Amino acid sequence: MLFLQLLLQGLQVGALYALTAAGFALIFGATRIFHFAHGSAFTLAGYTFLFTSQAGWPWYLGGLASVGVATLFGIGIYWFVYRPIQRHEGSFFTVFVAAFGVGIVVQNLVGMFAGRGFASVDTPLSRATEVLPDVYLAQVFWVAIGLSLVLFLLLTLFLTRHHAGVALRALHQNPDLLRAYGLSSTKLSLLAFAVGSALVAPAAMLTAMTSGLNEAIGHHVMLISMAATIVGGVGSLRGAALAGLMLGVAEAVALSFVDTQWAEAVSFLVLFAFIIFRPSGIFGIAQAR
Amino acid sequence: MSGMNSGRRALLGGLAVAPFVGSARAQSAAPYIVGTLFPMSGPNAEYGSVFTAGAALAIQHINADGILRRPVRIQAEDTQALPQQAVVAMNKLVSVDHAHYVLSAFTAVSKAVAPVGDRARTVMVNGGAVGPDLSGLSPYFWNVIPLAHLETQALLPFMIQRGLKRVALVYVDDPLGDAILGILRTSLPAAGGSLVGNFSVPRTAQQFAPVAARIRQTRPDAVYIASFGAQQSQIIKQLRDNGVSQPLVSYSAMNIDSVRNTPEAEGLIFTTQSTDFEGGDAVTRRFATDFKAQHNADPGTYQVNYYNAVRLFGLLAQSLERENAEVNGENLRRVLLAQREFDLVGGKGRFDDLGNMSAALQITEIRGGRLVKIG
Repeated sequence: MLFLQLLLQGLQVGALYALTAAGFALIFGATRIFHFAHGSAFTLAGYTFLFTSQAGWPWYLGGLASVGVATLFGIGIYWFVYRPIQRHEGSFFTVFVAAFGVGIVVQNLVGMFAGRGFASVDTPLSRATEVLPDVYLAQVFWVAIGLSLVLFLLLTLFLTRHHAGVALRALHQNPDLLRAYGLSSTKLSLLAFAVGSALVAPAAMLTAMTSGLNEAIGHHVMLISMAATIVGGVGSLRGAALAGLMLGVAEAVALSFVDTQWAEAVSFLVLFAFIIFRPSGIFGIAQAR
Repeated sequence: MSGMNSGRRALLGGLAVAPFVGSARAQSAAPYIVGTLFPMSGPNAEYGSVFTAGAALAIQHINADGILRRPVRIQAEDTQALPQQAVVAMNKLVSVDHAHYVLSAFTAVSKAVAPVGDRARTVMVNGGAVGPDLSGLSPYFWNVIPLAHLETQALLPFMIQRGLKRVALVYVDDPLGDAILGILRTSLPAAGGSLVGNFSVPRTAQQFAPVAARIRQTRPDAVYIASFGAQQSQIIKQLRDNGVSQPLVSYSAMNIDSVRNTPEAEGLIFTTQSTDFEGGDAVTRRFATDFKAQHNADPGTYQVNYYNAVRLFGLLAQSLERENAEVNGENLRRVLLAQREFDLVGGKGRFDDLGNMSAALQITEIRGGRLVKIG
């Protein structure tokens, strides 16, 4: 029963990791910008949901506000930070340092305005009840799994059936050809940041209900997103989502076999194993040199 | 007549400026530097604000009272509660800022900076960390907070009396967590209880639902949480959310707003220092009144400790100034060991040979977001 319990908890956490990792992978895949401040979009979305909840807003309005803030942050950081840097110099490393700086600024601003401590959204959805002997499950489990499935279905439809989605994939594969066809890479990059950042909002809201928030939570989110992107295969959205789910499950199920302090280490053992034995990731394409 | 007038003018003028002479002299001299090694960012930043509030009020009182010839000022360094950052900050404080006195916190941080302070003979005072091996860390490392072994000594008989004999421990993988594990391993059986499970968690861990599943399997009577910062509220919430309904017990690190405001922390039992703010002495009442006026909230244990740490510096430095002796680590230690007893918030503070201050402890429970004394 312990294994089943851990598996269910791993699926719930993994679903949230999958959403954040997919957002990061979408942005990185389309624009090749190492968006380290992706964790900040998560933090801002989570705190927006927290404040609207404390202000007595209905959950759906709070959710919309949360999605809106994450989306605006994504668009804003591309327009006001990454784009000017790319226009002048465009070094990958400069953009990375800028993103890192934005992450620190956001962390400190959140700490100044929201307080430097733990905060959570109090909801009965996160209270688990015994569904089987010694197996506890909260309603939020079904919300996390259901929401992730719906969002991935919508995202897949968007990327395969909608012109803008197809163009986003093209931006990843051949930006020069895309421009030759008269499409704007800037507009498509904005779209990638908007959609990728919006994807973290549901995960941030559910995290606010389950494990809670603190100003520094963005770093952990980023760590998981990076690991999932590498394990899934750089540039592969479904790979990142699957790897996020895998990391969440591995982190939880590992406790059946190892001591609790090794739970996080297991995630990174998975990462190392992929780097060594399959550097291109689950769905990555091996490149000959 | 004119001579008399000019003499009277001079006397009146002298009387008029007399109250300002002391403060002007204090302001003109280079200030005494009190360095702080607190987490001002990261998941433990809440403590940094709490600690600084106590220290800042003490400095305000020392400067306002003019008890020293030189003003006192804080030089804050952000450690993020991490030993590596703390060592860099401590080196800066002793080598660049020439700090006269340093306030430390967190067991891992304190253990990391103690050798630096020891070499520089700079006094370091801890008012927030409770690892038992902080006692006697260096002749220049003092504690104004009861350490963990004293807290568990107070808590364990209370738990056994309530029938909370089978204890599971969740502890942070850090010198503090390791120390509490060591204490419970030896003290619990001696008190008539047993440690039925111990679960170490990394400092960066955020997910505790799987840990809750492992804890439930041990069928404990109570769960002891030995962590700090944002993580301890996360542990409380996730244990409660995931079917751990047994009483939760802990130590003084739980005495922060974010824990008290967590709904799942209702019923949490932990040890704190006992301070009578209303019926206490003049020093205690002044501290409580001014703190409430400034922060619109009652002071907590950590604010008391860091107020006391800085006030202690004021009293020791005052003694040295009277002797016309230099205010440095060696002389501060000499005066501390010579006097031993000081008027601090909470009453007389008494120091032993290792520089540890004794303090009364009480057992409290969170009820409706407030601390209620239960033992």
